[in-house]
Formats: sequence, structure tokens, C-alpha cells
Amino acid sequence: MSDNTVTLIIDGHQVTVPKGTLIVDAAKQIENEIPVFCYHTKMDPVGMCRMCLVEVGTPAINRETRQPELDEAGKPVIRFFPKPMTACTTPVSEGMVVKVDSESALEKRKGILEFLLTSHPLDCPVCDKGGECPLQDLTIRHGPGNSRFDYEDKQRFPKRYPLGDLIVLDMERCIICTRCVRFQEEIAHDPALAVENRGRRAHIVSYTDPVFDSHYSGNTADVCPVGALTTRDFRFGARSWELTNAPSVCNHCGVGCNTVLSTRTGQIKRIMPRQNEAVNEVWICDKGRFGHHFNGSPNRLTTPLVRKDGELVEASWAEALDLVGQKFAAIKEAGGANALGGIAGARLSNEDLYLFQKLFRDVIGAHNIDHRVGLSATLEDETAYTVGVGCGTDLSRTGKGAAILVIGSDLDQEAPVLYLRVAGAAAKRGARLINAGGRQTKLDAQAQTSLRYRYGTATHLALGLLASVVEQKLVDEAGIEARATGFAELKKALQNYATAKVADVTGVDAEEINAAAKAFAEADNGIIIFGLEAGNDSALRAALEALALVTGHAGEADNGLIAVLPHANSRGAADMGVVPDRLPGYAPVDGEAGLSAQEMLAGESGLKGMLIAGVDPAAESEAYQAALEGLDFLVVQELFLTETAKLADVVLPVKGAAERDGTFTNLERRVQAFDIGVPAPGLAWADWLVLVAIAGRLGAEWLYASADGVMAEITQQVPLYAGMEFENLTAPVSLERKTSHYIYEGMSFTADAREGVQWPTLAENNAEGGPKLPLRFIEPAPVAGDEDGFTLVGSRFLYDGGRLLAESQVVESRIRQPQILLSKLDAQRLGVANGDEVTVSQNGVSVALPVKINRMVAEGTAVAPRNVAGRPVEKLVGPGGVYATVKVEKT
Amino acid sequence: MIKEVVTSSTEIARAMGVTIKYFFTKPVTHQFPDEPVEVYPRFRGRHVLKRHENGLERCIGCALCAAACPTDCIYVEAAENTDDERYSPGERYAKVYTINMLRCIFCGYCAEACPTEAVVLEHDFALAEYDRWDAIYPKERLLEPHDASKVVVVRDDEVFVNVSRWGKK
Repeated sequence: MSDNTVTLIIDGHQVTVPKGTLIVDAAKQIENEIPVFCYHTKMDPVGMCRMCLVEVGTPAINRETRQPELDEAGKPVIRFFPKPMTACTTPVSEGMVVKVDSESALEKRKGILEFLLTSHPLDCPVCDKGGECPLQDLTIRHGPGNSRFDYEDKQRFPKRYPLGDLIVLDMERCIICTRCVRFQEEIAHDPALAVENRGRRAHIVSYTDPVFDSHYSGNTADVCPVGALTTRDFRFGARSWELTNAPSVCNHCGVGCNTVLSTRTGQIKRIMPRQNEAVNEVWICDKGRFGHHFNGSPNRLTTPLVRKDGELVEASWAEALDLVGQKFAAIKEAGGANALGGIAGARLSNEDLYLFQKLFRDVIGAHNIDHRVGLSATLEDETAYTVGVGCGTDLSRTGKGAAILVIGSDLDQEAPVLYLRVAGAAAKRGARLINAGGRQTKLDAQAQTSLRYRYGTATHLALGLLASVVEQKLVDEAGIEARATGFAELKKALQNYATAKVADVTGVDAEEINAAAKAFAEADNGIIIFGLEAGNDSALRAALEALALVTGHAGEADNGLIAVLPHANSRGAADMGVVPDRLPGYAPVDGEAGLSAQEMLAGESGLKGMLIAGVDPAAESEAYQAALEGLDFLVVQELFLTETAKLADVVLPVKGAAERDGTFTNLERRVQAFDIGVPAPGLAWADWLVLVAIAGRLGAEWLYASADGVMAEITQQVPLYAGMEFENLTAPVSLERKTSHYIYEGMSFTADAREGVQWPTLAENNAEGGPKLPLRFIEPAPVAGDEDGFTLVGSRFLYDGGRLLAESQVVESRIRQPQILLSKLDAQRLGVANGDEVTVSQNGVSVALPVKINRMVAEGTAVAPRNVAGRPVEKLVGPGGVYATVKVEKT
Repeated sequence: MIKEVVTSSTEIARAMGVTIKYFFTKPVTHQFPDEPVEVYPRFRGRHVLKRHENGLERCIGCALCAAACPTDCIYVEAAENTDDERYSPGERYAKVYTINMLRCIFCGYCAEACPTEAVVLEHDFALAEYDRWDAIYPKERLLEPHDASKVVVVRDDEVFVNVSRWGKK
């Protein structure tokens, strides 16, 4: 026996577990499941439901000798506690004896169930949980079979009580286990739910405005062990045993949460999280859960459209593709390959993106391809390739000894599940969290250190932290020696970034900068997360890369950088070389780079024809729209008739992610495969298949028959993706890596299908003798002097005006409308109240926006959502801009 | 020789006797469908979806009948009652309820599974259709009031009616 383990006996089996383990977890080792309702492995135990009662005995100690008493056979005497104990709150101790299945324990659990059922309505036939309900299952396994209680005396509560737009509460069914309340408090950090009253009158309430205001509310329905909380869109949708479940990956943001598509008769009935501890644990956000209804939208394109006499009319695939082939060939003939260009959205799968660049590079012969429009406008991210977080990084375990530095990201809005994990690492597991940002965000509540810099000085702050690390001699000399070059030059350049000076520029206290630098550098593991509001310019990336390398937080698991990217496959788009200057796998192109998306959409680009797939630039600005109107020939691959598609000469209908298979690469570089869930409407094709057909019309002989086949070629052509055949990506997780979580108890699907594969960064490779990384220093843009007016921040909100969400009816009420968030004081000063309109102007551009007062916004700052109807903020801050100094006046 | 003649004549006479005896008994053959057929009370014929006395549907769309069905011939889609549009008591009703009578083996498991005694196998067995698609009964055809069969009559023999105490001592 080592010091950190404890050996005990459960039902006659000897079990050795780490110290501090709870009996309920120890019993799982011998697969002797102790029934629970309130206990959940991800939350603190409370012992509310008393379902886990077991008999517990410990070795008797002689009071005089302080020695264990021995019986005649020389074995220690076990003294059982007179009352049963709750296995979920009792930690194990040495020599403990636990009786799970003793007659007395069974009797007690039977009693508890009879009690719970006295106020349960037993309306299982109409309950959405019926068939996958722990209360049903445990009643059958442990219950008394009949009740001595008079049915007429049952509790009566309202049956259909809406908790917000997304969740329905049936209070009669609730057994007050408080899993939902605790999830909201401990994990989501949105204490939106509470228990009101006591005893039999206790019930769940929400007093937030809007009701149950949380991005994670759907998870409470998952953790609910009865049918008390159910989701609005699945209400009476299907019985659990009628569902067919397909493993999938969420296509709404870069986190890449693993999901299960539960389908019936060709429709997605619900989306549930699929356990993957390395990505989303057992959670998903509400956008992922409820934002799938676009798949079944009646507005989906179902047949190719071709422009005839100025009108888009239905056509056959053959006709549409022939036209694309002829026109592209003619444009190439007349104006050369560089008269053609393409923009592919970062929502496409790796297979689509690979073939997209191959079509342009190999078949057409142009490098005019890009994915960076809209939210990814200025994205130019290779940090993941150099010092991205190491393979095997698992934020669900990051805790004591680790430091997480978040720069310029409102994670709760940009990447909700990443927020859960980062907040959990800090609040639950004791990681040091440093949240640097221009404004207060939800993460500040969990952060030990909040650094509030002036907008536009994120790079200065990063360099200040770096200089402070050097100043305080916290540099990881050995790590730099092994991995990087150019430290001396960097040191010299950093002399201009002395802490006092940086403090002056950024507005952050000098001591705080030093303390944060120290905390980050001294931590065993360090992760840097940077988001949209940090600005994503090359100077910032160089500074953060250097910070990771200089502090030695690179090239290992749980160390490195995470860029919070906007779309499901933003990472994959960069990996697959859908950029004008890089080939797949980040190799630079031979010769001259092509045009970037901004250049292609600038108007005077010289392009005659374009292929746009899965992205809608025309909705973003009138300038883009004008540029697209000026083209001779525009082909659009889309799900819906978007603004861009309306301008097209040929519109090709494609399948959504749920209707085809493929892979996405998430922001931790994890390549994950998703399966086909539902059939596509009408004649839609997968994007890669459309590209194969276009290539065929242009004379290429591509022989891809499946997404699987395209991936097989990627594994050959892109060294980073070696070994990532579908076969490996979909391999089931080994038994040792499975951990059971109670939300899956009784579920109609298994949660543990696959985990995905990460590709290694340069920093990891150079530990094994690969090339060293240069420590770069790029002078940041000069900080503009103080101007009068508000700092308007174009911020990304979870429910933005993206087309996919707009087509998902359930979340309609949550979608952000154009508005400006102001502090209460500023609103008073301007003489406006909630809903009043103000004119926001800058450099002759002015926009009218309704006011919303928000307590998180600081004085002098105004926050407005990006990517919403009409794109008002983008007009003021520019397509890739983050902030602008504006004038705000009452209209 | 005489003995043989006598024996065979008696045999013929006896056989004719049987024939003549049946000639005077009531015929077994029913003139279906001109005359109604009698079935026993527990005969399992086509399904009927019952209603409560106040006219609301008994069916709550729980789909337990579909789950119990060994031939998967029942398809149910549930929806939510609203105060304006109420089909059944409680929250849930069957928006779609179809039974494929060609697949059904009339085992009665659906009626057994039904928690509200909504689906009942009644006595009609004359289910022939001119079109196979018509054999898939939509909810409107299954729901009471339905076209009761004119050609089936239920026997009311005491011995068969009073069976409620079967299996009990």
C-alpha cells in the first residue's frame, strides 16, 4: 500500500483506490453500481436523494491500546455504523467494509424509492424521459413494485411550466436532486435556478431576466434524472427507443463538441452531447443543441439554379455543371487562370476544403483562394502550427499548478464549452486564471487576476508580460535552447517594453503585470487562449508565441496556444491551404501568392469568375456585393438562397453537415469525423462531390467516390494528417479511457464512440530534433492618442445573425438584433433609456442603434454585436476591426 | 352372396341415413356477406381508437402500442395539446396514428400495452380493400365513431362473456 491509496472491501471484493475517493466511485471499479439520483461525477456531492445508502463498517479500534481489535482468527473486527451511510458523500478509508447489496441496504433503498414515488406522477407514457429515465430504471431494479400511498394524495403542481424559451419544467416529476441547480452554479457559473420552499412544497424556480438566461440550459435536461426538465424542441418529438443515433460533431464553432444526432423518419429530433473528455466532457451549449433546425428548414435549396434572362430558374445537375465547366474554361482561355478565384467558408469539411484548393491549384492553376471573410476576416493564424497546445492537452484535468492566460476573448460568447472548461479549471480544480481583456466578461468572476487594458494595446500587454518575464529572470533557458533561436535579439527589442512603460500605455497596473507574468512563468503548465477582441494581428501572435516559448510553455501536453477561431473548421481551412500563400500543411506556395479574399472582393481585382462555397460575403457589405455583381460569372454552393447566391449565375445545392460525412479540425487541432445522420432534401450533393464534378467538367480525372477516399488522399499528401484515415478517426475508444457519467445512465445511445486525433505542432517536433523556431518580434501598431468619444467594441455574441441560426426557429427569440450596450451612467448622461435609439458615427459613417443598458459594460465603452442583421458594427470598425472611437448621440 | 348383398345394402342405407340426417339440420355455411357472421366476444378483429365519454380521444400518443407491436405495423407521431386545440386530456395526443392492416397479425399486444385502453381490437374482420394503400388505416378511420361492420355479430353466450375471473381461484 502506498501513501496515496486506500484499500477497502466492497461486497467481498478488495478494491484499491486513491485517497479521498468516494464510496460510490470506488464501487464502480468492481462494476458494482450504487444507484444514485443527485450524485454526478462532474459536480460536488450533496447527499440529497439518499438513494445511495449502503452499510459501512470500519475496523474497530481498542480505546485503550489505540490498536485495531482482532477477533479469534486474528482478523480485524469490523464495527458497522448503526445507520446506513450515503455512498456519494462518504470517502473511503483504510480497511473499510462496504455492503452494497446487503439485505438491510436493499431494504433501505426500497424505502427511499417508495418515498420518492409518493410525489411522482407516474406519467411515464407521456414523459419525454420515459425509456431512458434513471428513476424508471432504478425503480424496476430496486423499487418496491407497489405503493402504500394513496394516488389521490399526490402532489399537484403545474405540468407545463416554461423555464425560458428552451426548457420546460414539470414540477410534479421533480425529485429535488438539485443537479440542475448545481450544474448552473458550479459548472455553467450562471446561477439561474434555485429551489424555493421546503419539504413537499419545494420546487425549482428561475428569477433571471430573461428567464433561465444561460447558454448551457439544455444540459440541465440531460443531467435531470427524471423528466422534470425537458427541452422545448424535443417535447413529444419521439420516444427514446424510436431514435436512431449517429455520432456527429457540432458545426457551430471551433470547439468541435462531440454530439449525437438522434433522428427519426429522416429528421433530426434532438442533439445530445457525446462524451469526449478532451473536447466537451459531457456538455454542449444551447447553440449546438437547438441550432440544428436549419437542416429541416423549408427554405433549403433542393435543386440547382441557373440564371436565364436575369432570373434564377431550376435546372438539372448536368445542365448546371456543364455551364460551370464551359464558362470557367472560357474565362481561363480568355483571361488566364488568374481571372478565376474562389472563397470557401470555414464551415466546410476538410475533404471539401482540400478539393477546393486542389481544384484551383491543380486544375485551374490559380492561387486565388481564401476562407477569410466575415468573422475570420483578418485571421492569419499559424500559431497552432508552431506552438499550438500540445497533443494530449485535456482542459478537463487542468488544475493545480497550471496557469491559463486568456487574452481578448469573451469565451462565454465565442466558444461556450471552452468557457466551461476554462472556468472549471480555475474555479473547481485550482488552476491560476489570468483574464486579460478590454472589458469585463463573464470569465472575470472565475479569474484570480483580471487585467483590463485599453483597446488596441493587447499586443503591448503581451510584450509587457514577456519583458516582465525576462526582467524577473523567469525564463526557461533550457527550453529556449532546445526549441527556439533569436532570444538575444528578442531581449534587445523588449527593452522598450519595460513594465512601467507598458503600464502607462495599456492602463494596467505595473505590479499586476509583474504578478501575472510571474504566475504564468512559474506555473508547471501554461496555456494561452486568445480570441477575437485581441485583434489577431501578426505582432500579437508573434508576442504570444514568444511568451509561450520563453516561459517554456510550448511543445508539451497542457502547454501552448489556443486561438479561438470563429467557425467549425477554421483550423482545417488553414491546414488544408485554403489561403492564397500556403499549400496544405503550411508549405509556402511556389512563386507568387494569389489574391486574398479581401483583394478578390475589393472590386478592382481583375477577376472574371468566382466559385463561392458555404460563405455569404454579399450580406456583409455593399462593397462586396458590388464586387460580386461586377463578375462575369459567379457560382455559389449553398444550403440557402443567401444574398451571395441571389447574385450568382449558377447556384448548386449542397448537403449540411448532418446529411453527409466528413471531418472537422477543432481549435486544438483535433481532427474529428462525423457521420451521416439524415437524408438531404431534394437533389443536394455534398460539397466535395460538387467539386469533383466541376473538376471533371474542366478536364480533370478525379476518382473520389467518398469523403473517406478524399481523406485517404489527404493523409498521403498532407504530412500533418498522416494516419488520419476514417478508419482511425472512427475507432472506438478503449475501455480504459471510458469513464461513466450519470447523464448516460439509461440513455438509448452509447456515449463513447470516438475521440478524434490531434496532429503535432512544430514545437513538439523540435523536441525530437526538428527545426528550431525563431523567436519573432514585430513592432505593434502605434496606439492612437486619446480621442473624445466612446470606444465602440464590435463583439461576437453566441446567438448572432448567421444564416444557420436564423433558420433555426427555436432560438429565434435569443438571436441578437442590432443594438448598442451602454453602461447605466453613460445612458443617463446621454439621456436615453433601454430601447431608445442613438446615432453612432465615425468618419462620416453613422448608424442608428437601439440602446440596451448592461452592467458589464464600463463607462466610456460601448459594445455592439457583430455579424447581426445589416452588419452595423462592421461599417464602423471595418470588416476585420475590433474597436473604433465613435461619437454617440441621442437621435 | 345374399349375405354380401344384405351387408352392402345396410351400409348404403346407413350412409344415406347420415346424409339424410344432415339434410334436415341447419347448414354450417354462412351466406357471407349477405348474412352476418357470429364471433365470440374476445375475437380480435380490426382496431378502434376509443374516446372518453366527453368526446376526447383516449389515445395520448405514447407509442407504447408501437413499441409492443411484433410486426411494427403501428406508427405514432405525438404532439402537444393546446387549450385552443385539445384532442385528449393531458398534454399529449397522437397527431399521426396509422396501422398497417396488411402487416398486423392481430395479436392484441397493442391493446395490452395501452395505458389508457384507447386502442382496442374489435370484431370486424372484413378488411379487404381494392387498393393495398387503403389497408393502411389513418387515425380518422380508426377513431370512434367508425364504420361498424354490418356483417359481424357478437355472440353473447354466457360462458364466453363471463370470463373475467379466468386465472383467479
